Amino acid sequence: MATSKVTAHPSAVPAGGPRTAELELVERCRNGELGAFEELYRTHSGRLYSLAVRMLGNPADAEDLLQEIFLSAHRKLDSYRGEAALGTWLYRLAMNQILDHVRSRAARSGQLTDGLDDASLLADASGHRLADRAIDRIDLERAMLELPEGCRAAFVLHDVEGLEHKEVSDVLGIAEGTSKSQVHKARLRLRGLLQRRSQ
Amino acid sequence: MACSQFINSIHEMVDGTIGSIRRAELEMHLAQCDDCRALLEDLRKIHDAAAALPVIEAPDRAWLQIAGRLRQEGRITEHVPAAGAKRRSVAVWLAAAAAIVIAAGTALVMLVPRTPPATQTAGTPAGTAAPAPSVEEVQTKVDAAQAQFETAIAELEKVAKANQQALDPGTSATIEKNLNILDDAIAQNRVAVKAEPTSVAARETLFEALRQKVTLLQDTISLINEMRKGNNAAAAQLVNKS
Repeated sequence: MATSKVTAHPSAVPAGGPRTAELELVERCRNGELGAFEELYRTHSGRLYSLAVRMLGNPADAEDLLQEIFLSAHRKLDSYRGEAALGTWLYRLAMNQILDHVRSRAARSGQLTDGLDDASLLADASGHRLADRAIDRIDLERAMLELPEGCRAAFVLHDVEGLEHKEVSDVLGIAEGTSKSQVHKARLRLRGLLQRRSQ
Repeated sequence: MACSQFINSIHEMVDGTIGSIRRAELEMHLAQCDDCRALLEDLRKIHDAAAALPVIEAPDRAWLQIAGRLRQEGRITEHVPAAGAKRRSVAVWLAAAAAIVIAAGTALVMLVPRTPPATQTAGTPAGTAAPAPSVEEVQTKVDAAQAQFETAIAELEKVAKANQQALDPGTSATIEKNLNILDDAIAQNRVAVKAEPTSVAARETLFEALRQKVTLLQDTISLINEMRKGNNAAAAQLVNKS
């Protein structure tokens, strides 16, 4: 598998221009001020923890990884020059650590592009119909946990995080067609799981 | 054409990336196929619900552990409260109890370092090296840290028990069972510390058991809070976590 690294996030495009407040905050962190780093943590931890929980499918692993992400960020603050927004810099760093974790787990358990059986998914998709009401987000979160790792990663990056298939393929080191296939399979499986939950 | 041949087009329709010719073909098919219309509607719902999923807040203890590790590694030079930091809105009593836990955790981290201090990087102020404390001083501080943990536990237990009716009987029984297991571990570790008062490993094991009990009680109170607020998503996260 390719080991591509995340370079940016579409929803966190650098705004350009000086980031005085962020650079000041980073400087205070570099100087060992715990309160400054807590401020940075409180601002960004929710988004990064959400990403980790959904990508890893396990809150305990996500919490451990969140700690490693912020400890790593503290160590690397010297390299932050303000070219990108602090949120983008942290997102990139977090995504790389999450992917390393996912890849090492996939290497132990099989492959990242583990799939779902096409025939059973199509059978699953026929005749099932979600209720008219909106999808309960807790049901959706739980159903996502039941997806195979490769499908879940592609679905989270594409449908939750809003990356394009080309970006998902770069991030996960898979072909663009594989990204599409994984996301499509994930949606069909989710439909089946959600339909059963609503019965 | 069979419905299976339109599956990819339906996904592309959901994503908004379908071309005009394929779109026209799909629309002709949808006009006469109830199943594919339902599939398109459902996949749109899933796509939209996924895009609207809210941020999941990390447990409070995650920050405490990060702060502890930073102190252990000597990368913190002072403790200044975060001015203007966004705080999670929790009940006042929980904040008060957490403050006690933070104090106890700080004392523990200072006394029982687990990893050697990291090498200072250029431009990072070095931590001040304090003279090694005597055994008596360490023992006094350990006793104080233990007392703080126990005070925190007593406060948290009081709050959790007073509000336990908010939990369903099954969850409540599981929490009770886990608390009993931790109580047994704490009792055994206290005996070990008493037998070997100078053993750092024995103290560390005791503090780990105390810390786990604090964490379980904090999670219990957070769960009660979220259930009362009707925040089922956060409650489900806590249940999944435990």
